[in-house]
Amino acid sequence: MIDTQIIIKLIQHIFLTYTALLVSIIISIPLAVISIYYKKLAKVILLISNFGQSIPSFAVLALVVPLIGLGLQGAIIAILIRAMLPIIKNTYTGLLEVDERVIDYTRGMGLTRFEILWKVRFPNAVPEIFSGIKFAAIMANSIAVIAALIGAPGLGTIIFTGLAQLNVEKLLLGAIPAMLLAVFMEVTLSILQDELTPVNLKS
Amino acid sequence: MTIFTDIFNIWQQQHFAMRTVEHLKLFFFAISISVVVGVSLGFLLTQIDSISTYFFNILNIIETTPTLALLVLLIPLVGIGTAPTIIASVMYCILPIARNTYEGLVNVDPNYISTARAIGLSDLEILLKVRLPLSFPFIAAGIRIASVFTFGIVTIGGLIAAGGLGQILQVGFYRQNTQLVLVAGLWIGFLAILVDSLLSFLQNYLERRFAA
Repeated sequence: MIDTQIIIKLIQHIFLTYTALLVSIIISIPLAVISIYYKKLAKVILLISNFGQSIPSFAVLALVVPLIGLGLQGAIIAILIRAMLPIIKNTYTGLLEVDERVIDYTRGMGLTRFEILWKVRFPNAVPEIFSGIKFAAIMANSIAVIAALIGAPGLGTIIFTGLAQLNVEKLLLGAIPAMLLAVFMEVTLSILQDELTPVNLKS
Repeated sequence: MTIFTDIFNIWQQQHFAMRTVEHLKLFFFAISISVVVGVSLGFLLTQIDSISTYFFNILNIIETTPTLALLVLLIPLVGIGTAPTIIASVMYCILPIARNTYEGLVNVDPNYISTARAIGLSDLEILLKVRLPLSFPFIAAGIRIASVFTFGIVTIGGLIAAGGLGQILQVGFYRQNTQLVLVAGLWIGFLAILVDSLLSFLQNYLERRFAA
């Protein structure tokens, strides 16, 4: 009986974490791209991300609930707020810090702005972008666990039941799969990063 | 004006002042241990360079673990309360501090070291008077990352009876008291930004003072 319960919770947890992470990536990367062309936007975004990243996830969860509400929505928004910041910041710095000479050469070769972005800036920024995404994945998984407190489904519900009953078995049944999921995400993202990294950047 | 009296009442009823002191005490205690352990470990790893890669890889796995999962995994070993919270903070913070210390010490310009050796400084003097000061900006950056981690973990520690402001949040969530949750959330966010800003000043100062 317990086993099917855990599998259901695990699937819910994976769904919550990956949905929130995917949405963060989909919103953050275009925002970062726009910021490299509009410096004013970049300043605002970097300021928010510097302050925002120092706020504890638990406090973000607390601030989201009165505004968005309990449950899955609240959890997804809380994860978005925390996960978007590292992705935007790293993508922005990664795209911007491509060697200016390389950009000049490719411009000289007649590449358009879009081609420079897509064929030069992005491939060179892969390591930086992925370190942002990996950090965001860790945050997403971590917040998904505590989001059980606001009624989100997932492994956190097992942990909180375990805490209320001081039941060590339940604590471990909730915590160990969450830990393994984190390692799984880290490994799969590293493999993807390796696939996407251009040959000249590989050591 | 009622909003201020409401906030004041919440503040008094939930002992915000006491909880804040508790929170900051736990934070400073945990970060101090992390700094001592992290800096020493970073230095040791420069001496036994062959294992440093493996070591950082192991620490990296700890880093991926969800905070609450790590806290909960420590409960069977050390019980609930402040002990698992401090241990978890140190486990998370060793990596940023040790790695930055290691990078800082290793990446000192060899010219400085050979100059120091040429004017007759011993290895210990080179470490204390040349390599360490030149690494301060790196170490400060590591400590700043670690302090953000620590503040977050101490807050979540409220869920496993470590006290502090996280405990107020827990009460607020269980009673579904939106006002309480909002006031506590804002106060924790404000404190976190304040602590991080102070450390960023310190980091900037060290960068200006010791940058090579």
